[in-house]
Amino acid sequence: MRALSTAATGMAAQQLNVEVISNNIANMNTVGFKRQRAEFEDLLYQDMERAGSQTSGSGTVAPTGIQIGAGVKAGSVYRITEQGSLTQTGNKLDLAINGRGFFQVLTPTGETAYTRAGNLSVNQDGQLVTADGFQIQPQISIPQDATDVTISPTGQVQVSQTGSTTPTVVGQIQLATFTNEAGLEAQGNNLFMESAASGAAVVGDPASTGFGSLMQGYTEASNVDPVTEITALITAQRAYEMNSKVVTAADQMLAATSQLKG
Amino acid sequence: MDNALYVGLSRQMTLRRELDVIANNVANVDTVGFKVESLMVGTDTETLPAAGPAPDKVHFALDGGVARDFGQGGLKQTGATFDVALEGRGFFSVSTANGTRYTRDGRFSLDGQGRLVTSSGDPVLDSSGGEITLDPSKGAPKISEDGTISQGTLTAGKIGVADFASLSALSKDGDGLYSNVSNLQPTPAPDTRIRQGMIEGSNVDPISQITKLVEVSRAYENISKMMDQTASLSSQTIDRLGRLN
Repeated sequence: MRALSTAATGMAAQQLNVEVISNNIANMNTVGFKRQRAEFEDLLYQDMERAGSQTSGSGTVAPTGIQIGAGVKAGSVYRITEQGSLTQTGNKLDLAINGRGFFQVLTPTGETAYTRAGNLSVNQDGQLVTADGFQIQPQISIPQDATDVTISPTGQVQVSQTGSTTPTVVGQIQLATFTNEAGLEAQGNNLFMESAASGAAVVGDPASTGFGSLMQGYTEASNVDPVTEITALITAQRAYEMNSKVVTAADQMLAATSQLKG
Repeated sequence: MDNALYVGLSRQMTLRRELDVIANNVANVDTVGFKVESLMVGTDTETLPAAGPAPDKVHFALDGGVARDFGQGGLKQTGATFDVALEGRGFFSVSTANGTRYTRDGRFSLDGQGRLVTSSGDPVLDSSGGEITLDPSKGAPKISEDGTISQGTLTAGKIGVADFASLSALSKDGDGLYSNVSNLQPTPAPDTRIRQGMIEGSNVDPISQITKLVEVSRAYENISKMMDQTASLSSQTIDRLGRLN
């Protein structure tokens, strides 16, 4: 009976939906996290009777055919890259990107990864690093005797040093943008890698055309909206239940058939 | 005598198919742009050779086709830039490997080359049948109600909406796509509004589907009972007529 497997595809799809929603809720407070959405598509259709097939010798045709669908499948899990709200932290090395762009990060394997999580710190060598200790590219070192760090909206890093009245420029933060940000490959740890779907990285200074500006002392909160996620969770749970009802009905009908005395 | 069994069988076969259609509707209760379907069942009347004074007529159940309700699905706000929903008649045109296809699923995005594509990666066509390309660095794209995509003062393209005089011209391909299987030519749909940041939900009504589900499974059981009774009737007949005294 086809209905059994059709309902099973529906249950599998809703299960995936719940997994995506639970990951969104789990990352509600993850800096720079972008919520995801499971996208469903109907499966192929089988033509039992084609529309437009002849119904008589005098040329009359069937206005509608009989197409029976085979259920649903997960098309993709899409990342919604809209801006998260900016949270003031007061920390000098917290940076939020207001607009498009990603920080470039050098991973231990020597590859370039991209992140929106700007909760940066300084490592033992004075280099600007992410929360996992990965270096920001281009590399920026804060001198040991720096008393204050100022990062401008355009990404210029200036430090004040003891014995000097004018601040010294120690580096320039650059951002990378992609044609299709949703196509980036998530690596965990808030990191993304370039993929064939994302297009090549375009590197430029913050606040120039097509790039977001930097805000010192802020972090970008995740763009997960708890109310949306909870309502989506309810919908998913009910849809799962309804599919299980179809399984029960198909089972009852099979039982009625097998109990025929004949 | 066996006609009662065959009539019961004809109805059970249509009920099974009806369950398949309901199962597909329920499985797609959360599929963007999905349109609900129902099986149309009619009677198929056969005249039997006259056994008595008047010819007997037997009415079998026969499924005539699948009806598709193209009614508007609910609009859901998503906030994604390239999510668009159609309000009113019509379809987005998509260029696939098998030719032009039509869809109500507006979950679009840009691919690596900056083309506007569906979630399967097929390019979305503009009102004159060309692909739409935009450069996201030129500003946040705004999609107006008539489908025009603008970035500031720059116009990047116009999403096309195709309508058909008769929607039975369309056959379902799966993946939310419809193909045109008739000679009808698509026409523009000027009254249809495009909503940015929204998607059109499935128009499956869960309550009516579950009610139908109960009806189908009960009807199936009743017919099974009727067939049981018919069978026991014939076995009793043989039993009784076979007795010599």
